[in-house]
Amino acid sequence: MLAKSVMTKDLITAHLGEPVGDVLQRMRKHKLRMLPVLNDKKVAVGVVSTFSILEKIVPSYIASGDLEQVAFAPDIGFLKTHYDQAIYKKIEEVMDDTPLLVKHDESLLSTAAALTSLDKHEYALVIDDDECLVGIISSGDILDYLRNMKVNDKNDA
Amino acid sequence: MHNSTHIIHSSIPFGLDATWVAVSILLVIYAVIMAEKFNRAVLSLLGAGLMILCGVLNQQQAVAGIDFNTIGLLTGMMVIVAISQKTGMFQYVAIKAAKVVKGEPWGILVMLSLVTAVFSALLDNVTTVLLIAPVTLLITDALAVRPYPYLFALILASNIGGTSTLIGDPPNIMIGSAAHLSFYDFLTNLMPIIPIIFIVVIAVIWLMFGSDLKTTDEKKELIMQFDEGAAIKDVPLLKKSLFVLFAVISGFTSAHALHLEPATIAMFGAALLLLLQTWGEPLHDKDHAYEAIMAEVEWTTIFFFVGLFIIVTGVEHTGVIGMLAEKTLALTGGNFAATTAAILWVSAIASALIDNIPFVATMIPLIQSMGPTFGGQEALVPLWWALALGACLGGNGSLIGASANLIVAGFAQRAGHPIAFLSFMKHAFALMILTILISHAYLYLRYLS
Repeated sequence: MLAKSVMTKDLITAHLGEPVGDVLQRMRKHKLRMLPVLNDKKVAVGVVSTFSILEKIVPSYIASGDLEQVAFAPDIGFLKTHYDQAIYKKIEEVMDDTPLLVKHDESLLSTAAALTSLDKHEYALVIDDDECLVGIISSGDILDYLRNMKVNDKNDA
Repeated sequence: MHNSTHIIHSSIPFGLDATWVAVSILLVIYAVIMAEKFNRAVLSLLGAGLMILCGVLNQQQAVAGIDFNTIGLLTGMMVIVAISQKTGMFQYVAIKAAKVVKGEPWGILVMLSLVTAVFSALLDNVTTVLLIAPVTLLITDALAVRPYPYLFALILASNIGGTSTLIGDPPNIMIGSAAHLSFYDFLTNLMPIIPIIFIVVIAVIWLMFGSDLKTTDEKKELIMQFDEGAAIKDVPLLKKSLFVLFAVISGFTSAHALHLEPATIAMFGAALLLLLQTWGEPLHDKDHAYEAIMAEVEWTTIFFFVGLFIIVTGVEHTGVIGMLAEKTLALTGGNFAATTAAILWVSAIASALIDNIPFVATMIPLIQSMGPTFGGQEALVPLWWALALGACLGGNGSLIGASANLIVAGFAQRAGHPIAFLSFMKHAFALMILTILISHAYLYLRYLS
């Protein structure tokens, strides 16, 4: 079984240069927590997620893990200030620019291995031979596929 | 460090001269280390390997050149610090210090500098700033003040504090081990001048930044709302860590009387804290905890030292360091006071610009070679203090002068307040020169007049 057979093809995307606020609104509207980010050639260049945005709002010395916990600190007020600044930033400033990419003709086993490898990812972006985005595959997509699979099909996965 | 110097000419390939081979290896490796394009541990191990492969040393001589007292002391302290830092005690002390001065911005700068200096004296500088700098940034965010003066003071305080003890800074560990100077020797000879240097530096920082550090009563109240108690993450581990830290420091102060080397005390303390840390836990959890702590030991630094000791031993074996010592003495006319001053100032300037660890590793045998001229190794003691003061305080001269400086600069960069190399150096180099002038006066009044 290949990645392209399991992936989600109806995609909502973000584009380089868009303001973070507009992308967040789109995510809210479609009840999504992440969007692939494309350049003008439809090549996947990153992923923006609620996590990647929050990571830019929390000060770097906390988000980086240098200050492991801040249970001792009261609300200092900078989260709202940083949020108000972040929504006007361009999406490339807050996106994760090292998304997990898998080729459309990779096997399901290879895709599952990539998702569970050392840098665990919830989603992989599926790209074609020209590196253009053709779909998204999540760990949930793989589990749903396996649940619906018939016993006789098991050699396919 | 190997004390003997004798020229060996055996098994050098292509009939090359051992001295030139050894010196070339040292110079090339040091130059590439300074270029910072490759990992310094890899380079020092490559250099060490070349010393053996080229026949300058055999393996037995190379291994004998490694100062295992320095290696053991560094590794032991790294393990103890890796466990202790998990307790949150550093954050506790930093927040407590900020609250003692009621959230006053200038008072906080002084207190955080003092905390950094004290921790840097008892632990390593890099760990200290790794733990104090993020809390400092959080506090300056809460106060809505510019973090630069605080980070600037933190850098200077860590190098000043580190100068005061045997274990405060790697150059001191190397010097103490090579010259058989105890923790107590460092306390009685270097510690007395450190508070004076600290006060003068803080006074100058006040003149530079004091008027900028203003905030509102509301922001000060925010600092008073910090709950330092919540910073302590593991009370039982805190008690165990404090017990072992106290025991180890006490051990250092009495090591000489007990005829023990500091490495023995540090390694024993590390093993004891590793045992206590996981006492009563299942074997699987213990193994996991041991492996996690071992992974936090800075093996890169340890292997850097190993390689460096072998490289310097190679050069030392060729007799070239003895020759350099003679040249230095010729320049100073064999005058002890002039030699002390030369070591202090050259070490300070060099340490501001290059890694002070390879510099000190090379200076140690050079100073040892001066023993016969000045009446034996006993007479060299002021020269060791000059080297320690120069190498440690010299680290304040530029952003690349010490590892702790770069760590703080990294935090500042990530937090959106980058520290510019030249603007830091403009202030820091002048302050470093001031501290060396004070050190010079101290050395003169105490040992040379």
